[in-house]
Amino acid sequence: MYITAASTISHQPTFKNAGFSKSIEPLQNNSELIIPNFKEYIDAGLLRRMSKILRMSVTAAKDCLKQAAIDQPGAIIVGTGLGCLQDTEKFLNNFLTIEGLLPPTSFIQSTHNTIAGQISLSIGNHGYNMTHTQNTLSFEYALIDAGLLLGEGNDNIIVGAADEYIELLSIIGEHLHVKSEVNLTSGASFFLVSKEQSVKSLARIKDIETVGLVEDIEESIENFLTNNTLQKSEIDMVLYSDFYDIKDSGQVADFIQRFDVSSEVLNYTNLIGVYPSNSAFAIHYAVDRIQDNNKIKTVLIINRLNKINLGLTLIESLEA
Amino acid sequence: MDTLKEDLKKHIIEELNLEDLQVSDIDDDALLFSTEGIGLDSIDALELIVLMEKYYGIQVTNPDEGKVAFLSINTMADYIEKRKA
Amino acid sequence: MAVRITGIGIISAIGLNVAENLFSLENGKSGIGRIQYLDQEGAYLVGEVKCSNEELINRLHVKSRPVSRTSLLGLAAAREAWGGNKLSAKLRTGIISATSVGGMDQTEHFYRNYLGHTNPDFQVLKCHDSGNTTERIAAELGISGYINTLSTACSSGANAIMLGARLIEQGKLDRVLVGGTDALTQFTLNGFRSLMIYDDQWCRPFDESRSGLNLGEGAAFLLLENDKSVELSGNETLACLSGWANAADAYHQTASSPDGRGATLAIQNAIEVSGLSALDISYINAHGTGTKNNDLSESVALLNVFGDNYPDFSSTKPFTGHTLAAAGAIEAVFSVLAIQNNFIFPNLNYSQAILETGLVPSTEFQTDQPVTSVLSNSFGFGGNNSSLVFTVNIS
Repeated sequence: MYITAASTISHQPTFKNAGFSKSIEPLQNNSELIIPNFKEYIDAGLLRRMSKILRMSVTAAKDCLKQAAIDQPGAIIVGTGLGCLQDTEKFLNNFLTIEGLLPPTSFIQSTHNTIAGQISLSIGNHGYNMTHTQNTLSFEYALIDAGLLLGEGNDNIIVGAADEYIELLSIIGEHLHVKSEVNLTSGASFFLVSKEQSVKSLARIKDIETVGLVEDIEESIENFLTNNTLQKSEIDMVLYSDFYDIKDSGQVADFIQRFDVSSEVLNYTNLIGVYPSNSAFAIHYAVDRIQDNNKIKTVLIINRLNKINLGLTLIESLEA
Repeated sequence: MDTLKEDLKKHIIEELNLEDLQVSDIDDDALLFSTEGIGLDSIDALELIVLMEKYYGIQVTNPDEGKVAFLSINTMADYIEKRKA
Repeated sequence: MAVRITGIGIISAIGLNVAENLFSLENGKSGIGRIQYLDQEGAYLVGEVKCSNEELINRLHVKSRPVSRTSLLGLAAAREAWGGNKLSAKLRTGIISATSVGGMDQTEHFYRNYLGHTNPDFQVLKCHDSGNTTERIAAELGISGYINTLSTACSSGANAIMLGARLIEQGKLDRVLVGGTDALTQFTLNGFRSLMIYDDQWCRPFDESRSGLNLGEGAAFLLLENDKSVELSGNETLACLSGWANAADAYHQTASSPDGRGATLAIQNAIEVSGLSALDISYINAHGTGTKNNDLSESVALLNVFGDNYPDFSSTKPFTGHTLAAAGAIEAVFSVLAIQNNFIFPNLNYSQAILETGLVPSTEFQTDQPVTSVLSNSFGFGGNNSSLVFTVNIS
């Protein structure tokens, strides 16, 4: 599977900013979502009702189509951990407080598949339209689905992930004693993936694996590398996330210390902040780094944002 | 009547998030549900039903009745006057 | 290669297992009635599972709390479908569930207390996210690895089944438990009310006088296996899943297009994948929610594909209510039951055909003709349309 286009809207200057990976610093605690001019991408009629997650997603998806110079993708697949929280909370508020008739818009837009649905609606796409929501592995599952579709003869698929921050998340975090050192953030990363390499190809996704209710991370990673006939020493860069419940953390970090010293190791959550589908950003980051540095040929992404789930993604440069 | 129409426009802009519109942008006889006019859709029609109850205490129980009443600001104002009379 | 269905499980308003559901279908017994369990005022007609959360927790021997009703319903159905199967290192096993509300049944109680400053229980939010409902079911069954959840509103259940079949077809998994689960919530009940498509009377799919849906709740799961898995498990094949497709209507956020474009595409493509022709379909389990818009659009799509010689069709939602993400899975189990027993289920509450299309659903319980292939439709918000084709096992 080849990545033909990539687009991220986040708390970092990632949007329409190829080469961003060179300049971005770990996220500051007071960071905010960097909002592009949505009106350039979305019709005013559709935009006026859209929450943050919808605006980010439709814009990033459309940016991918523009980069790839493709009008209609073969399919649209979205991963989201928590879905459209802003509208969900709004409708909860409405039906619990309003006595009379209820405004329907926030209910309509509270469903997870509003994201993929709005992308299809905004470009008039009649293809396969899917929404995966599996906690911190939502994006990996969307990507696996894209791989299946390519195998079935579909092509040029929009696949992406998005999650939005609402204030209630911080309040919940405090009450559940899940205090993150890194900020809770919003973000959307979308990609156009294709079956064959083309002049527009940026990198290749070689393999993706998800391990739900993971028991032995180290063994899972070893197996993943073996299946891809890779030695640890052949990996040029490891991008990882570690779960933010600091009490038990450290397992990934320990494992990573045993990687060949020549590989660069980076915790991507420190760059992008915490949201369930932030591993999608890691892929964009890897792609951006690969464009910039031809020594980086093989990148392993280890997603362990949540301690019961492990996501593994292998990205290769086109020269690899 | 003119105040009613002004108020109606204000409420519509607010409730339907018509961010780019001012009260002065909406003609009294512009077709609300036409792309030539304001370009509202069926979700907006439901929002207008809610708006009628919230601000004018008028219950539109039959959505089909709404279709006729919500043609333009003029027809909406007439409808409100009639129902209140 | 057909995908084999070797286990089914279901819990709905018309029964707590497959046998009870079949009994109700055979006897024309609807499960829709006034609210008994949901904490919601008003005389709404709903299809509730006739069990409180505590009763479900006891029946299922669930130890760890908090747990959402959505997980409990899912677990009941998943356990029945899984039956006595054993985990094996030789078989790559996965689970795909579908839900639209996730743990909302718990979250809405939390949020009421949160707004009212009346001691909100933050712990229940641990089961809010949709993925958690599936993780809980997987943990109870001991399944790890491929654990996934789809959420595409009312077509979710059908999509989970479709994804499972595709994973087996491409050799990614040997067997996979697929299905969907949704609890009845105030959130969804008030949501459909806000859309003015909640019928205060019995829902009347495909009837000219239809004016909306009745919500239900429940869950259903199917065990899908490839040939290798069946050789090892020795399981009997109940029916095969032969065709599937998903297409976007791209017409409107909630409404279906008047020309039934997305629905037509889904039906045509699913039949094409199955290798059958439209003439081979013995029975259609329609989406048939009872809303003006869905039933008209679906009728147009059926006419587009089948013409005037359309096969027997019915909506079973007057039995169960519209169970949202579970609907596609519940109706998949009904489709398997139709094939196993040569049954065609009646469309209750029907009296007069829709004027524009004139389609007449089956209103009698039929047992006198072979049912070899069933088309099941599931259409959702955002124009998400899916169709599945089930066939009798011939090998």
